[in-house]
Amino acid sequence: MAFRDVNSRRHIGLQQLSSLASTGRTLLGPVKSCKFIVDESTNQSMLICSAVRLIESLDLTSAAGQLLNETIQAQNKEFKTGMSTLLFLVGAWSNAILECLQQNVPVSAIVSVMSEGLNSCCEKVQCLQISVHDVNEELCSSSVRPNTSNSKTYEIGLVSPLAGFGSIASPVRSADDNNASVISGSGVTASSCKQKRLTHSRYFGALATSPFSSQLDDSRVCLSGQSAHPCECYGLGHLARALSHGNEPNMKLLKSIVAYQHKRAECSGSSQFNIAEIVTCCLPGLPESCSCVCPGFVTLVSPEQATIIKHFRDKPLRILLMDGDLTEEYRHLGFTKPRNVRTVLDRPDLQEGRPGDVWLNTTLDILIRSEVNLVLVKGNVCENLMERCVANKILVIGSVAQKVLCAFGEVSGARPVTYLTQRSASCAGSGAQLDLWTASDGRATDLGELVPVRIRVRGIALLTAVLTTAVPAKMQLVEDQFWTFVYRLHHALSDGKVFLGGGAVELLCLSHSQALAEQSLKLANKKPVKEFHGPWLAASSAEYKSVVLQALASGWSQYLSAIMCNTAKAASLFEARTLIEHHLKQATDCGSPSAYVLKEFQMGGMFRGGPVPFTGSAEGFRVYDNVTAKTEAWRRALDLVLLVLQTDAEIISGPQSNQLLNSHASSEFMFL
Amino acid sequence: MSRLEAKKPSLFISDPLTKDTVSQSLSLLNRILKSCYGPAGRLKQLHNGVGGYVCITSQSSAILGRLSVSHPVLKVLTASVQNHIARFSDCGLFTAILCCSLIENFKSLHVPSCTVIKISKHLLSLCTDYLKSEACGCRVSVDFSNLKTLLCLARSILTSKPACMLNATEVDHLAMLIVKAFMFTIPCHVETKAVLGKCVTVPVKGRRVLDSTVLPGLLIETPEIQFAKLLSVKRISSDTIKIALFCVSMSGDLFNPEEGTITVHHRISLEMSELNQLLNVGKQLVNDEVGLVVCQKVIHPSLKQYLKENQVMAVDRAGLSVMEPLSQMTGSKPIASIHSFSPSCYGSLKDVCTKSFGSKHFVHLIPNDTVVCSLVLCNRNETAWDELKCACETAEHVLQLTIKEPLALLGGGCTESHLASYVRYKTCSLSTSSFKDVDCSQTQYQLIADAFCRSLESVACSLSHDDEILTDMVYGHCWLVPSGFPSVSNWSDLLSKCGCGINSNTQNLNWRLLQPHFGSPTIQSCPKEPSVDAADLLTLDCFAAKYSGLQVAVETANLILDLSCIIEDQN
Repeated sequence: MAFRDVNSRRHIGLQQLSSLASTGRTLLGPVKSCKFIVDESTNQSMLICSAVRLIESLDLTSAAGQLLNETIQAQNKEFKTGMSTLLFLVGAWSNAILECLQQNVPVSAIVSVMSEGLNSCCEKVQCLQISVHDVNEELCSSSVRPNTSNSKTYEIGLVSPLAGFGSIASPVRSADDNNASVISGSGVTASSCKQKRLTHSRYFGALATSPFSSQLDDSRVCLSGQSAHPCECYGLGHLARALSHGNEPNMKLLKSIVAYQHKRAECSGSSQFNIAEIVTCCLPGLPESCSCVCPGFVTLVSPEQATIIKHFRDKPLRILLMDGDLTEEYRHLGFTKPRNVRTVLDRPDLQEGRPGDVWLNTTLDILIRSEVNLVLVKGNVCENLMERCVANKILVIGSVAQKVLCAFGEVSGARPVTYLTQRSASCAGSGAQLDLWTASDGRATDLGELVPVRIRVRGIALLTAVLTTAVPAKMQLVEDQFWTFVYRLHHALSDGKVFLGGGAVELLCLSHSQALAEQSLKLANKKPVKEFHGPWLAASSAEYKSVVLQALASGWSQYLSAIMCNTAKAASLFEARTLIEHHLKQATDCGSPSAYVLKEFQMGGMFRGGPVPFTGSAEGFRVYDNVTAKTEAWRRALDLVLLVLQTDAEIISGPQSNQLLNSHASSEFMFL
Repeated sequence: MSRLEAKKPSLFISDPLTKDTVSQSLSLLNRILKSCYGPAGRLKQLHNGVGGYVCITSQSSAILGRLSVSHPVLKVLTASVQNHIARFSDCGLFTAILCCSLIENFKSLHVPSCTVIKISKHLLSLCTDYLKSEACGCRVSVDFSNLKTLLCLARSILTSKPACMLNATEVDHLAMLIVKAFMFTIPCHVETKAVLGKCVTVPVKGRRVLDSTVLPGLLIETPEIQFAKLLSVKRISSDTIKIALFCVSMSGDLFNPEEGTITVHHRISLEMSELNQLLNVGKQLVNDEVGLVVCQKVIHPSLKQYLKENQVMAVDRAGLSVMEPLSQMTGSKPIASIHSFSPSCYGSLKDVCTKSFGSKHFVHLIPNDTVVCSLVLCNRNETAWDELKCACETAEHVLQLTIKEPLALLGGGCTESHLASYVRYKTCSLSTSSFKDVDCSQTQYQLIADAFCRSLESVACSLSHDDEILTDMVYGHCWLVPSGFPSVSNWSDLLSKCGCGINSNTQNLNWRLLQPHFGSPTIQSCPKEPSVDAADLLTLDCFAAKYSGLQVAVETANLILDLSCIIEDQN
């Protein structure tokens, strides 16, 4: 076993964290600079724009690097957003803590003051939270422009659920054309709004008292009573815009999704934004304007398979769902094939041919007899079977996601089977339709080898976001951004509240931690203040406390200036710092920093985050952020830094330690 | 043709403790363990150096489990500490540090080891008698009608593991959950022999600690696809569901003999015949009105489909860990064969429902009598979760030990320094007959007793990593001076509470520095028992674990000191 001390003044782990995190500086904020990742062995390159992809491509052999990777992956798994913030703060706080160590601040003081400071900041910024309901109310009212009278309402144009949503949002018609509907319409709106407020206050009230009510079912967010909304956003469109941070194409896609899910939900009773009913299909090679949302499942098939489609046109098809592989060797998980079984033939039967043919014939036979036209398979599909099926006009599609199977199962009546022998005829569903997918401009889609097709069943909940880009290297990036955006809306709804965005929250944190630092300096030379439970982690002298709180503040300060530089709000770091200082001073002078930040936000003045010029009036534009995702990213970043800070030694076990014993680095280590 | 190799002679090492390598390794081990001790302890990164999982910990069980020590002396030491941890879960670092310190301190005295052993045994019995006596000033009795002491015990364990990364609210939340889980495991109707139930930890990693919760009954994870389609379950009455528990695989694979081959005619499919047998089992279950089938391993999809069509819920891949509590909770006997089983094996449940935590989905089995509960444990990252799981299990175990012996020791180093003060006081006033009993001179006795006390005090001192530690002359408790203050003559300005939190700085208690490397003044009076137990946030340690730790440390140190030679087989 090898044992290495981590030098406490120049903590190796913190240095590693700081240098790894510095690579992600340009990924922060709404305007990101992409990075090219070039694989030297294959010469392939990829464009990345998120901390997760960056970390995936970095060399992370050090222990600190692995912990960083683990932390970022965990944030990604849970929230799909906030990873760049996490990465940046890890770097900023590592640097700040290294400086504290230089000033001989003891580790225990750093740990307790830092985590207390962050807690205090999180409590402080609660005043910058705004409930989703209030956001909708505010944004929707500002978007319904005052006309001759205030009794103006919009009527939602009926969109056929089967019509492909183009890149343009659903048609909206002013109800002014129809006098009769104005009166009744506004009456309905008023009364339903009143009711809505009640249901919402109860909904959010429940959220506040029991933290579990919203977490029990994460994949489905219900917003009852949202149905009759006075503007075309269905209650979510404006929120989506405010969360999009200026990403116009994605916002349009999401608006179509919200509109479709809203319409569907109206029929079934409750309105919802359901993330489990969204899948993506990536089509590199088409211009980005072709991106759209289609009801049903869009996927790529081979040209041979595509030829079957013309036989099916407009005919309802029988569909079979399989939740395993469709190969001869496949057995369900947990099944071990016996190895010592020998099969004997009593007489050679020449007609039977190759051994695999038996399975192929039986399988095909079952499919033909149960009159199935379409098979969606979760896993792989045997190549030979695929060919034989094409010849028999059966379309078999492999590698289909679980949620697609579920969605088809729900509307077609099909039940997923593992083996075809499993009385599959009774498990098949019906009513599926199949056609070729075409871009909104009707252009033929030539993607080289594969052809996009669309499968749907009347009333299916599933939506496919078809993502296109003319630059294949950007494909991954476009998909990542789409999902980040979808999840942001999802988390906003499940939190029931959002933060004021555009740096407002961070500015208040900065101002608050600086105020705490000054406060503790005033208490200097007095008795040590007791915090935490028990005296062991508690007392640290006021001088130390102030130094550590300044370190915490420097994290926010660096964060804000990096965003301002990235969005070109400031030409240099120096200019950014000056602007931040200016705001801080005004905030302190005004007496209540939170009131100042709130006021600045309302005026849209401070660090306006909208880099992309928006169409239409600017005053309706707001930037919001997720609450839990953001505070969790902070907490995870600080936890990681403090975990590494408290580490004083590495213990390397296993065969590697014997190698270390004989290597030139052995002087660094001690051996037991 | 086999080749014979000459046998190597065994290696003989005499007086192993006098060797430099041993004392270096021992002091390195002591340094590692001391640096881990306490709530401000430093953490260790344990990894294999080639990109494997990185474990960050300060717990003795994790560190000793992964340390590969080569020297036999160290092996003896780590083995006995690990044995202590296996029995008591807690106080592993205390035992190890005390043992190392005792060896180091005794060795430096140059007193014959047989004398050292005799005297240290005498000192140990002095301590254990004191701890067991009513007069003991460093223990409190645990009142089970009041949650306060139980919460203190749980909280002390959680705060002493900094790698869990908990803040004050999270510690309080978890301590409450641990005590709640402990309450669930106590049977309501006690017959002649009470058996405690079990708390099963359900991992939900990546979520906030405050999302953790305790539920009565068991949670079994199921894949999402199954979760979406869980049907209504056949019930015998409104609150009874018949359950069958299988511990044998129902995946339809054949029995797998290690040797020999089975020869089968090509028209016969063994898989089909096996599946038919499974479907017969299914038929029997349906006929017997079973509502829920739980299988430790995998259930064949065809059987699952059949059961579902007959309103029987099938839950597979339950895993070995839930089998015993499940059988305890439902009164069912695990069925080990799919060829014959009797209806007497079935058990019953009150209800079944589904639960989701984050992205994980569970079937929640609710029993009639709750002696089994599930602790849904969340923490943000993998290594912090592992540390937290270990800490929670330790706390659960400590509460169970406490129910057997309703006592707790004052934590925060106070027990160690108090015990040292007590021993110092006692040895001053020892009669000459006692020296004769152990066959030594008074000087020898004083020397050994001093080394013994310094070892105890050095454990208390290990709690501090940046700060200075004091002890008072009245209660013999431990006090911490935060660093960063200029050294002052009047410590009472800086002190507010002692380590365990029972004494506050209200009177001049005559403090002195606790420095185990120097001699200390003789103590004229026996350390007093603190008068009040008003403090809410006491730091308490498990009595049984520390009591045993003290014994293990002294006895292991004696054993190691007694080693005169090592014979190593080199083949």
